[in-house]
Amino acid sequence: MSDNFIERSRYTCAQGGAAATVTALPGGIPILHSPSGCAGNFAWTQNGGAGLQVGGYCGTLTMPSSNVQERDVVFGGDSRLREQIENTLKVMDGEIYGVLTSCVTEVIGDDIKSVVAEFKKKGVPIIGAETAGFKGNSYKGYDLVLQSLFKDFLERDLAKNKKRVNLWGIIPSYDPFWRGNLEEVRRLLEQIGLEVNSFFLANDSIETIRQAGSASLNIVLSDVYGLGAAELFEEIHTTPYVSLALPIGASATESFLRTVGKAAGVNSKRVDSVINSEKKRYYRYLEPLTDCFTDLDLQRYAIVVGDANNATAVTRFLADDLGWLPEITVCTDSLQAPEQKRLQEQLKHLESQYPSTLIFESDGSRIIDHLKKKWPTNGSKYQNTFGPAFVIGSSLDRELAIEIGAPHLSVSFPVANRAILDRGYTGFRGGLRLIEDLLGTVVAGR
Amino acid sequence: MSHIDQKTPPKRESRLNACIAHGGTICEMAAGKGKKSCLQSDGERSFTQGSICLLLPALGMLNSLPDNVVLMHSAIGCGSCSHSQNANVRFGSGIRQGKAKDAIWISTSMNETDVITGGEEKLEQAIIEADRRYKPFSITVVSGCVPGIIGDDIDGVVQRIQPEVNARLLPVHCEGFKTKIWATAYDAVYHGIGRTLLRGGEQPADADGLLPYQGLQRLKTTVNLMNVSSMGRVDELELEKLLNSLRLDVNIFPVFAHPESMVKATQAALSISTCPTHDDYFLTYLEERFGVPALIHHMPIGIENTGLWLRDVAARFGREQDAERTIEYEETELKAALAEFRPLFEGKRVFISAGEFRALATARLMEELGFQVVGIRSFHHDKFAEVEYEKLAKSSTEDYVVDIADVQPFEEANLLRRLKPDLFLGHANGNGTASKLGIPTHAIYHTGLAYIGYKGAYEIARRLHRLLKNPTYNRKLGENLRLPYKDEWYGASPFTYITKGGATA
Repeated sequence: MSDNFIERSRYTCAQGGAAATVTALPGGIPILHSPSGCAGNFAWTQNGGAGLQVGGYCGTLTMPSSNVQERDVVFGGDSRLREQIENTLKVMDGEIYGVLTSCVTEVIGDDIKSVVAEFKKKGVPIIGAETAGFKGNSYKGYDLVLQSLFKDFLERDLAKNKKRVNLWGIIPSYDPFWRGNLEEVRRLLEQIGLEVNSFFLANDSIETIRQAGSASLNIVLSDVYGLGAAELFEEIHTTPYVSLALPIGASATESFLRTVGKAAGVNSKRVDSVINSEKKRYYRYLEPLTDCFTDLDLQRYAIVVGDANNATAVTRFLADDLGWLPEITVCTDSLQAPEQKRLQEQLKHLESQYPSTLIFESDGSRIIDHLKKKWPTNGSKYQNTFGPAFVIGSSLDRELAIEIGAPHLSVSFPVANRAILDRGYTGFRGGLRLIEDLLGTVVAGR
Repeated sequence: MSHIDQKTPPKRESRLNACIAHGGTICEMAAGKGKKSCLQSDGERSFTQGSICLLLPALGMLNSLPDNVVLMHSAIGCGSCSHSQNANVRFGSGIRQGKAKDAIWISTSMNETDVITGGEEKLEQAIIEADRRYKPFSITVVSGCVPGIIGDDIDGVVQRIQPEVNARLLPVHCEGFKTKIWATAYDAVYHGIGRTLLRGGEQPADADGLLPYQGLQRLKTTVNLMNVSSMGRVDELELEKLLNSLRLDVNIFPVFAHPESMVKATQAALSISTCPTHDDYFLTYLEERFGVPALIHHMPIGIENTGLWLRDVAARFGREQDAERTIEYEETELKAALAEFRPLFEGKRVFISAGEFRALATARLMEELGFQVVGIRSFHHDKFAEVEYEKLAKSSTEDYVVDIADVQPFEEANLLRRLKPDLFLGHANGNGTASKLGIPTHAIYHTGLAYIGYKGAYEIARRLHRLLKNPTYNRKLGENLRLPYKDEWYGASPFTYITKGGATA
């Protein structure tokens, strides 16, 4: 970690996260109030990091953008934005339009709020968010879009529906597994009898989003992302929220369902029965792995490197389900002290009580130093070294894996070297997927 | 004073009258030469889609340099495009140096406080720490929009800090809002290279004229082959082979060239451009200060263009006969090999989209392969390409549309729905529209694939043959997806939103 720079940041800026978020909404059309290059920068970022997914219905270079130039910087970009929105409505077929500002248009002080309000008054389904890159990273942009969605798009004062919940906390594209991760959690919540609005999946609609204020509970699958939006939601629509870590595998998912079931007032017997049947399936599928798992000696030491959602969640799965030895957990996000504390709490309460060292380090090339500190080598013949090992991280952690002679799997942004469509690691099914991918990597040369 | 003596290079809309908004046709573009053409006043769009800025192609070059750290001075998003460029860097370094290596890019990640108080101090500290941590030969200090708008002086910072660090510091100006022509990127990078790595070695002329970098000798049969970051090693090897057949030694420059070796460019007897859009700024500098003459005419994509390119080089060395021998040998062999593909290609209609020179050269190749060109989109337009439009106007039997657009997929969608081509060739990151319309689509560059010279012509044909044998993937996408445009848009003129400069199609 340096005070002066961030090495190969594993995210982009607020506007990039915001743009991916609007693109992922049903019929979502982002309108960037930006110089021309921001859209392309995000497209190339996704191209290199999001498991071969770029854009969606309206992403990449298809996104409308005001492409402000030097003269707009001098004279202000409000009138260009107004013109751009007017023409966007003529050309682009959207169910919701999201105006997102950039560094340039915020420094020059363009007043997007009043421009957006003009269109909203005419009945246009439009929101706006101030997402200048200097305000933060892509996770921040995600939160800001949700905030304006909750504030300016959701219907207000709806009667609460006891069964209805909203689900968020996973960022489109910047978690390359976002669709699979959301889908599995949604499936499980439906199993226990809840109606779920998850904003970004194929079975969500702009109408259910509009009605999201009727939910009795908001479930945020993160200890960090989307919490500002959850606070605001509660303030405006009075719906409380629970913030829970990404549940990967049987143990985490079981406790996740119990916590949610309790918070949502679901009959505990129903929750038990779902857990039982899911677990039965889970272990039925693990059963025939047992011979090879044992015979091939597939237990591994591990270094887990990931964003705030993935790092500790993967470590928990390795320690509490798979019986691996995740010695070092590296969170590559730059987090505030209270956020760091929440992640530390997660690892304090592992069922296995495995002592994983949690490190906050944005610079991937420094991880090797942390390992050497914890596992110094002295070259002696009978040293208990860090091995056999596995590196679970992003594609940028391949060099670390090569250095320590370990196999490697990309599970956190950037994932340059895998194709990800609906694969996810959450829930019972996701746990099985992760076991497949980890062990598949170990035995690839078999 | 020439451009290189200024702190920043001029933008291309000023230097070359380059433009990005025009709806025209191939005949009209060809006739533009010498008359009052679209070059005189660019159009404006009142509806635009996002595009790229000069930062992206600049980083495409800078990330490739071995032993260099790219230090972005901007907000955290600028430069995250490096994630995709890193794939090229890994592939390129693997094939050139035997080991796939990640590029090193870092960012000062300017925040709200920096915007108010300025980021120069943070940048100073970042340079010092990067120098100590990575021990690189060079650090390219790249500014994005934020320092450009708040007035951080990266040149001043570099000047102040250079004595304190070992790495050579190259300031590169990439403030995206300042130019709409992203090809200004190449000037920005070359400007940094020239001012930092070469200018100190300029010498007064002797009786024979200008001299190479101080302490170095002129190499009478060595040529600079200017590569571009969209060119893979396989393409470089093809051109090297062709130049070797003229008994010339080749210095490939600047992508993947070690910054320390860049002085070698001043020793060459000739610089040969492979893409006039890319190189004119630097070649002028090499000529004006080091006496290295330049060839900047053709792009060696396509059979005829490769021959023209090679003949131009040969003429400079009096080796025309060598060139004729090579060309005849290569063309005979290639044409025989292409025969098997022609029946599938003959008469099929193709739309081509890319950077101006690449699009035009590839269009000529498509004609040579038996396709009929029905439309071209060039990402910008400047005078260097006029001769290419003339070539195409001459070789085509019918006039067809030319859209000058910094991508703008909405115009493309409209055009493609009208033209219904059998094939689309487009720049990386710009192929989604055609693909989703169900049109068989091939990337006009991908750095692992061959495109250039005779080998490239054959390999493109081979890949297109493969694509057209089973274009099911695109057809099924077309049947099941829709583009995000209103139905009314397809009924309107594709150039409805070009408000000034005029649409003539």
